Amino acid sequence: METTAPGPSHATSALSMHVAIAAFGAILLALVWGVTGAGYFWPVWVWFAFAVTVALHATIRFALLRHGLERATVLVTRLAAIAGAIILVIWMLSGMHGFWPAWPLCGIAAVAGIFLIATNQDRLPGHRRLVERVGVLERTREGALSVQAAELRRIERDLHDGAQARLVALSMLLGRAEDRLADRPEAAELVRRARDEAGAAIAELRDLARGIAPPVLADRGLAAAVDALARRAAVPVTVDAQLGRRPIPVVETAAYFVVAEALTNVAKHAPGASARVQIAERGDRLVVEIADDGPGGADPAGSGLTGLRQRVEALDGRLEIASPPGLGTLVRAELPCVS
Amino acid sequence: MRVVIAEDHALLREGIVALLREHDIEVVAQAEDGEGLVRIVGGHKPDLAIVDVRLPPTFTDEGIRAAIAARERRPGLGILILSQYVEPIYTAELLESGEGGIGYLLKERVGDVRGFLDAVRRVADGGTALDREVVAELVRSRDERAGDGTLDALSPREREVLALMAEGRTNAAIARAMVVTNGAVEKHVTSIFAKLDLPATDDDHRRVLAVLTFLRAGGEA
Repeated sequence: METTAPGPSHATSALSMHVAIAAFGAILLALVWGVTGAGYFWPVWVWFAFAVTVALHATIRFALLRHGLERATVLVTRLAAIAGAIILVIWMLSGMHGFWPAWPLCGIAAVAGIFLIATNQDRLPGHRRLVERVGVLERTREGALSVQAAELRRIERDLHDGAQARLVALSMLLGRAEDRLADRPEAAELVRRARDEAGAAIAELRDLARGIAPPVLADRGLAAAVDALARRAAVPVTVDAQLGRRPIPVVETAAYFVVAEALTNVAKHAPGASARVQIAERGDRLVVEIADDGPGGADPAGSGLTGLRQRVEALDGRLEIASPPGLGTLVRAELPCVS
Repeated sequence: MRVVIAEDHALLREGIVALLREHDIEVVAQAEDGEGLVRIVGGHKPDLAIVDVRLPPTFTDEGIRAAIAARERRPGLGILILSQYVEPIYTAELLESGEGGIGYLLKERVGDVRGFLDAVRRVADGGTALDREVVAELVRSRDERAGDGTLDALSPREREVLALMAEGRTNAAIARAMVVTNGAVEKHVTSIFAKLDLPATDDDHRRVLAVLTFLRAGGEA
């Protein structure tokens, strides 16, 4: 492993070697200085140069241990510090005449500062709060939609088991009463009318429940419900639905209504056409496509399509409509489908 | 006639039992769920099972699956499904489940006592009784669609007759509904049998076969 990718121990030993060589050179130069008469202590400049190379080596070495943006940040701050130190040391070694390093230090600080601010915006408190807020909003919206979908299904079930069942029982009792009033036709007629009213109420409740979610969707899932839609459609429809698992109910319902609305539109605006429905999972997205070979030219701003778009976008999905005149219409919805 | 009932709603179950008893139809056993239905069908040898689509524990299409299982246990068993909604796909599945009468009625039809009793007797005898909503849906989807194959040979009038046959009506009832004579209906029916190429066995059986053809055509996507 070490031959292909130098590990930390390898790099550390290189740094130790560097320090050792620098120290040896420093001592050697001091000796040379002593032997040659010990005048102005010039080796300090060479020491200084050695120190700079060691500092650079160490900085790069430790910066490489980090990754991505952090590596750049560490590198820039350390290099700026080293550059500042070099200037200060030169100032001290050259007699400390007037504090001229002030200007270059300001320059270095400014450049490093701008770099750090530009690259670390997402760590600023304001930005972090925004990211957190978006996360919270995404979660709560998803939660709200799931709760809403669950609530609607509960209402649908309650209607079925409660009001509808009672009305059916009522209708049955009225029927039996009518049966026994065979010898009193005018009374029987009244009872029959009462039964008709009960029947109308049951039919209305049924339409209401179907509008929330068709029973076959809850019973059999999206593929079966779309099959039923295709079978019921006024135009020939082929369905290709490939689903590994059931999406969450709110996504399932949205996908169902996309297909339902699109097929209704085909029947309404392209009565002679045929349609193809494709449903597939692509990664964590559920992709629903309805294509027809009708005249095209659909208005994406029409009320039906706008309603669909809102429904899909509320789930963080996307709805696209392509309808070039003469080339048919394609409605494509992408919905998140993490279960 | 021996009838069993699978219905989880006590109110409805008891109502249907009372209604049938008032008209001398014997309810030999009752169940509250699909498993119960399959169990009582084994023991009581019924002619007909009246089954709610939604039963415990899943409250989805439990009733359909239980009815199909019950028929496997007792071949020829008539099945009358009661449902709060029309779902042609379930009718199609029942038809695949083998010999025997099939009915699919919306629950509120039980209030029409005479119509309901007719349906019960017909299905027990191996006939069909489909809710007019089921038939309407099948007819609508086909009429608006061009070239569906099997039934293309029929004239619009003959299709109308066939749809009424699917509801389970007799020739006399069809004549009344279409405001034509009995003779006219009989002519249409004969023509339907000929066009659908149905074997010349007894008329009741051919009627069922014609209706099956009609339903299967509606079940094709």
